[in-house]
Amino acid sequence: MGGVLVFWIGALIVGICVGVLFAFKGMSDPTLWRTCTILSLACCYLMWAITYLAQLHPIIIPKRDNLRIEF
Amino acid sequence: MPFTRGWGQTRSRPKTSIFRSEIMSLVQLYIPSDVARFTVSQLGEMGLLQFRDLNDDVSAFQRSFVNDVRRFDELERKLRYLRTQIERSDVDIYDFFNEEAVAASRGPRDIDDMEEKIGAHEDRVLRLTAAYKDLQLKHLELIENKHVLEEVSSLFVEISGRQQTAAAPAPASASRASAGGAHDSVPLLGRSDSLSRRSIGSLDAAYAGDAGGYDVEGGRIGGGHDINIGFITGVIRRDRVATLERVLWRSLRGNMFLNYVDIEEPISDPKHDEPVYKSAFIVFAHGESLRDRATKISEALGATLYHVDRNAERRQEELIETMSRLDDLQQILENNNAARINELTNVSEQLNTWFTIVRKEKAIYHTLNLLNYDANRNCLIAEGWCATNDIPAIQSALHLATEDAGSNVPTVLHELRTTKEPPTFVRTNRFTDGFQNIVDAYGVPKAGEVNPGLFTCITFPFLFALMFGDLGHGFLMTICAALLCIYEKKLAWLAKDESLRMFYTGRYIVLLMGIFSMYTGLLYNDIFSRAMSMFSSGWQWPSDQGGEGVTVEATKLGHTYPVGIDPAWHHAGNSLLFTNSYKMKMSIVLGIIHMTLGICLQVPNALYFKKRINIVHVFVPQIIFLFSIFGYLVFAILFKWCTDWYARDAAGELTHISPPSLLNMLIYMFLSPGSVGESERMFRGQAALQTVLLLLALACVPWMLLVKPFILRREHQKIISEGYGRISSHVRVSSEDDAPGGAVIVSEQEEMQEDDFDFADIMINQTIHTIEFCLNSISNTASYLRLWALSLAHAQLSEVLWTMTFLPTLKMSGALQPIAIFCGFAVWFVLTFSILIGMEGLSAFLHALRLHWVEFNNKFYDGTGTKFEPFAFKTILDEAEE
Repeated sequence: MGGVLVFWIGALIVGICVGVLFAFKGMSDPTLWRTCTILSLACCYLMWAITYLAQLHPIIIPKRDNLRIEF
Repeated sequence: MPFTRGWGQTRSRPKTSIFRSEIMSLVQLYIPSDVARFTVSQLGEMGLLQFRDLNDDVSAFQRSFVNDVRRFDELERKLRYLRTQIERSDVDIYDFFNEEAVAASRGPRDIDDMEEKIGAHEDRVLRLTAAYKDLQLKHLELIENKHVLEEVSSLFVEISGRQQTAAAPAPASASRASAGGAHDSVPLLGRSDSLSRRSIGSLDAAYAGDAGGYDVEGGRIGGGHDINIGFITGVIRRDRVATLERVLWRSLRGNMFLNYVDIEEPISDPKHDEPVYKSAFIVFAHGESLRDRATKISEALGATLYHVDRNAERRQEELIETMSRLDDLQQILENNNAARINELTNVSEQLNTWFTIVRKEKAIYHTLNLLNYDANRNCLIAEGWCATNDIPAIQSALHLATEDAGSNVPTVLHELRTTKEPPTFVRTNRFTDGFQNIVDAYGVPKAGEVNPGLFTCITFPFLFALMFGDLGHGFLMTICAALLCIYEKKLAWLAKDESLRMFYTGRYIVLLMGIFSMYTGLLYNDIFSRAMSMFSSGWQWPSDQGGEGVTVEATKLGHTYPVGIDPAWHHAGNSLLFTNSYKMKMSIVLGIIHMTLGICLQVPNALYFKKRINIVHVFVPQIIFLFSIFGYLVFAILFKWCTDWYARDAAGELTHISPPSLLNMLIYMFLSPGSVGESERMFRGQAALQTVLLLLALACVPWMLLVKPFILRREHQKIISEGYGRISSHVRVSSEDDAPGGAVIVSEQEEMQEDDFDFADIMINQTIHTIEFCLNSISNTASYLRLWALSLAHAQLSEVLWTMTFLPTLKMSGALQPIAIFCGFAVWFVLTFSILIGMEGLSAFLHALRLHWVEFNNKFYDGTGTKFEPFAFKTILDEAEE
């Protein structure tokens, strides 16, 4: 895995967005649908990437004090 | 100003998009007088043209079509009266709507017909109602009369009974045959044995010892004294009887005797709304004057007096007659009622149709009042705004109208050139309508500027979802919204209800909010405050240690949890440390990106309004300023996340020092530029980079402040020096002050608009703008931290609800557990819906709204436009329904 995954998925998303720029030709307001799709993809990707990067090299370690001992 | 297209230019249909408002044209219509009504009617059906008032210097009473408006006002009043009558009589108003009659073009004859019919109906209903009222009063009288006769008869019977028992040898000469077979001569004295009667009177004392009786009929006392005692009878409200007694006693100084009987069934009095309890009373008093006084007093207390004969036979006859009259009256009342209801039913079938027609006609004449009447050419001149793309549709409407009227003279449509600012028309469909409403609530876009509504469609639900992230709550929200959307036609009545209207018009907003909330809930790994383990966790808890109170640490495995937050954090006691840091940094990063989008939207605006200066000297310094400080912060965040601070090199030594504190780093970047402390160092060359960025940011401030005003001043001086003077500035035109009616006849309007160049004004504006931007860049960035705050609150509330209401029932033991689970789940679900989805949802909605209205919009948005309100029957009828 690693941080490179973020980069590759990012490239994929950019590719899809470029493709979307030429889609939706037949609709009454193509700009609306293109904008909505690109924005949704961008927002979802950003959030996923940030979540992934935040856990890549963690600085804090989870601690708990109610672990049930396995038998 | 590129708002309108000139007449004669070839028009290629520009693709409309809600990125900008539509291009509007100011059109002028020359309508022949006989076609006028039909034309306006057709235009109202289409709803594409906003008429301008060409007669605004004329008062409402002086306009040409005032009489017609009055006529329809009168008709509407009659219809309203009919409707109240229908509602009062509980007749069903059929929702029957004669579509054809309403849509068809109506000639003056049709209107006259309708007016006659409505007038006739109203007349009949009025008469029937008045007759009904009269009959009801009569009915009341007869009923009261009947009661009085009955009760008084029984009173006499009782008195006679007492008289008989008290004085056995009383002569039977005075006895008459009466219905009950009892004697009618009774003593007025003696105790009454029935509880509902009382006797008072000073005659009691006077005749105490005398066993003689008083013959009411004959007016003779058994002892031979002849006292003229008369009586008055009547009916009075039960609660007034005591008052009547007291007042009569006092005023007649005790020389009276009152007896009363409660009437059992309540009598419906038209004066009062509900049936009232009344009593029949009889007052004995001797002497005309005393009786007159008693009459006046009883009438003053609201009693109705009825004459009752002394003679039992005659009373009986009267009673029989009253009963038969009552029966007749009942019959008449029923007939009247039936006729009324029949009439109202006839009316109710057509009521809705008539209402619609009358309102439409009134609207047509109101609009005709706005037009200018040109007497020479016998035509009306209309001016209005419409979208350039709609002009063909309007022309076809005009054509239809000319056909309807059967006229040969066509209406002429003429586009005008103008520099007036048109109203803003954003063509929305039912999906974008809700989002555009949100934007319009802050300010309607100025004509031609970028419409933030386009971006709001996605960014608003997304920012909401960041604050609301929970898979379960998002799912519930999506289901509710999806149901509203799928059944939107059937649920259209919701739009009329005041409180539920918001949810109906915003159904697509809620749908998107729900979908995005499911996504963010997936990433926050939160479903009704529980965590999911869809993939293998990146942490491992130790298998050998553990137990209550023993703190254990997890060990990191090689991989990262691919989608979302690791479920191991869910059980950790220090999970908030991690999630807070994560959410805060995410809020800042997403906030900076959102604001960058806002600033970048200045560029299309500047290009459209041909103000290149705005791009180079406003947009560029703003971007440099924002990026050099906060862009660097975002970079630092990402750098810190991507670096493995505990990596060891070949020798096993830590390659980095301890992870730096970003907040301190930012603060010391300003406080001590050029040097980076040990605990804030991230990479080599950091100090130099920070210094450069700081200098860049500082350089941008005077750039934003000074360059644009001086360039404008230089341009202005160039114009003046080349000899072009200013055209007199009092011809300043804005959309408010319209040219007077005379200028309208001219086909080409050229109005020069020249800004008064005031350097001080511009300088002050620029200073305010610069200071605002610089300060806002910090405060707005911090404002985005509310994304973290609200999502934290939501998660904590959700967890508390779970642990307090439902979890204990799962941990219970014993036979009661199933019942406890049932009740616990009910409480948990109700509170989830009302508090977590309802309250938190509204709260997150509000904060997302604020982020859009303030932090996003103040980067580029002007919002000083007016909304396009075309003349459309649909809007008028909808408004009239409320």
